[in-house]
Amino acid sequence: METSRREFLKGVGVAAAGSAVGFPAVVSAQARKGVPSGPVKIGVMPIRAGVAAPVGAAGQRGVEWWAERVNKAGGILGRKVELVFEEESNPKDTLERFRKLALQAKVDVIVGGISTAVGLALGPAAEELKMLWLSWDGTTQKGVEETMPNPTYAFRSVDNEVEAIGGALLTAKYFKGVKTIAGINNDYSYGHDCWETYQAVLKRYTPGVKSVLELFPKLGVTDFTSHIAAIQQAKPDLLMTSFWSGDTTILMKQAAAVGLFKTMKACFTTGGGVHDSLKKEFTPEGLILGYNSMYFNHAGASPLLKQFVREYKAKYGEYPPYECDHGYFTVESYKAGVEKAYKAAGEWPSKEQVAKALEGIEVESLSGKRSWRADHVQMCNFFQGITTHKNAFDFVTIDPVEVLPTAKIMKPTTSTKLLDWINATFPLKG
Amino acid sequence: MAANLVNILMGGVFHAAILFLVAAGLQVVFGVQRIFNLACGSFYALGAYVGVSAVQAFTAAGGPPALFILPLALAGLLVGVVGVVVERGLLSFVYDRDETFQLLLTFALVLMLEDVVRLTWGTAPYSTSALYLTYGQVNLLGATVPVYNLIVIGASLAIALGIGWLLARTAFGRIIRAAADNREMAEALGVDMRWVYAKVFTLGTALGTLGGALVIPATAAMSEMGIELIVEAFAVVVIGGLGSMRGAFVGALVVGVFRAVAIAVYPELEMLMIYLIVIAVLVLRPRGLFGRVAV
Repeated sequence: METSRREFLKGVGVAAAGSAVGFPAVVSAQARKGVPSGPVKIGVMPIRAGVAAPVGAAGQRGVEWWAERVNKAGGILGRKVELVFEEESNPKDTLERFRKLALQAKVDVIVGGISTAVGLALGPAAEELKMLWLSWDGTTQKGVEETMPNPTYAFRSVDNEVEAIGGALLTAKYFKGVKTIAGINNDYSYGHDCWETYQAVLKRYTPGVKSVLELFPKLGVTDFTSHIAAIQQAKPDLLMTSFWSGDTTILMKQAAAVGLFKTMKACFTTGGGVHDSLKKEFTPEGLILGYNSMYFNHAGASPLLKQFVREYKAKYGEYPPYECDHGYFTVESYKAGVEKAYKAAGEWPSKEQVAKALEGIEVESLSGKRSWRADHVQMCNFFQGITTHKNAFDFVTIDPVEVLPTAKIMKPTTSTKLLDWINATFPLKG
Repeated sequence: MAANLVNILMGGVFHAAILFLVAAGLQVVFGVQRIFNLACGSFYALGAYVGVSAVQAFTAAGGPPALFILPLALAGLLVGVVGVVVERGLLSFVYDRDETFQLLLTFALVLMLEDVVRLTWGTAPYSTSALYLTYGQVNLLGATVPVYNLIVIGASLAIALGIGWLLARTAFGRIIRAAADNREMAEALGVDMRWVYAKVFTLGTALGTLGGALVIPATAAMSEMGIELIVEAFAVVVIGGLGSMRGAFVGALVVGVFRAVAIAVYPELEMLMIYLIVIAVLVLRPRGLFGRVAV
């Protein structure tokens, strides 16, 4: 996974070309009543630097693939789509670029946002600027508590802790004898929340399960030999981690070097984020591995996903990770929202009308059906399973694949108290 | 019990081995040139990336996997020549300026090199895949230890001895020490300081790039890996004493082993532990364990 300079410039080129073809589009667009002639401007904010840069690149590629297809098919209600890029970095700078997109570039919608720290800044800004914002992966949660219960313009990702709940369900199902667990998670909100939630759900199935070690290395650490020594000393039955970036690969490799997973099970709730770097040589079979909300190798994949995987592989030489679909879904749902609101209004809808139309809307995304809940939270399926070497790749895949819908593994409203809901919901019946 | 102890110690010493190389580069440059090179972490990252590329080229050309350490170490050493370019092309202009300029310049290098890495190798983690496991494992008192870790520790130790020999027993070492003690006097005695500076800075750079190359099979290269390490390298330098090679060696061991022990005993202290030692050293012995009184 890499964003080379050339490709980056190409991205800029696409945006530039989009604006160039915007004028010819005048002709075709006039066919529709009440639709402006210029292109639809979509602000896109991918992370370009740091540990999350590959995630940002994946989201951007998903959006670009969508834009290319939509423009080929005539755009949104005949208007071409033009992508305007601004980088996501720290909350303060990202907020400024968000304002720039809204006020200066005057985009129609902004998609992007992976970090929840950034999401917490963009959510209120979207409301204040009355700018539609469809988040890829960032939420507006502080810990597991919602900070924006009734947004008008902000649409955010699934609850941060959903993957940990899925991981706990699979742990209870596949690793029945687990009595002691250890956790290694990054030292920030996502890491802590995932670890707490994972334990809470697992305890609903195995009440006596005990945590024997909690490790919280900071994000960006590249040497886990000492952490692994501590895990060996604690001798848990299972190691849980919510690592999602390159540290997953490093942990897996350094664990393999001392045979760690010969003596314990493991649950990598989010490791599928770097799935094609988890080579068979050092990634054992029989671990739980989560692919977030898109699994490239799913047997039940739609023709759309199959085509995407094929073209992605041809273009970038690798297999797509989940963030592609967060990106794809936000723009595809925007298009559907505009078209739905247009039908009702008879003219190009305002941002408010699109926002209303988006509530509860369901579209065909790469991973299958995805929707926005009425309270502006993403709904989708999560894919987790047991690692296997039986495939044609040099990295692991999962078999069986468990499909976990957010309707089951996410609390039903943003105001629901997480622990109360966990205690009332799990163990799941049937 | 013994196995756990070995695991914890080996984890700490492995970390210390890499830390020593970067800190040694920092020390040798500061000792002679009085420049605090913030970019030493970036050289470390550069070495890592070039190392991976060299190993990939080596295996693609049909080189036997068991010999991968040769192109790796060679690439790590060779990329050290960027040191000459940086020293002659940039640093040589700011020797007479205020220290702030030197700090700013090396910080600018940090930012530029990070972008160079990103534009050249992309943003995704970059690694030598499973080569790390090529040399297998040995059993030490019941603990499984990767042989590659032992190779890195051995290499780092050999380099430490080599530097000690270079400084104490060779003509170049004498010149370095003379220049560190009294630059004007060394110049008056006919030493061409431009050459000494270029060589010393290249040596410092090569230590960092070699460290980056050697660590990479056990981990993965990421564009911000240098920044993570430089904080610990600073702690090493403060503990060991600014400008002292022996200080870099002992400081690296202290940081590496105490970090490993903290993680095993009380993981919340992982980062704090290092700073507690730094604070203790600053309070009790401000010039560091092996630092000389400022002249």
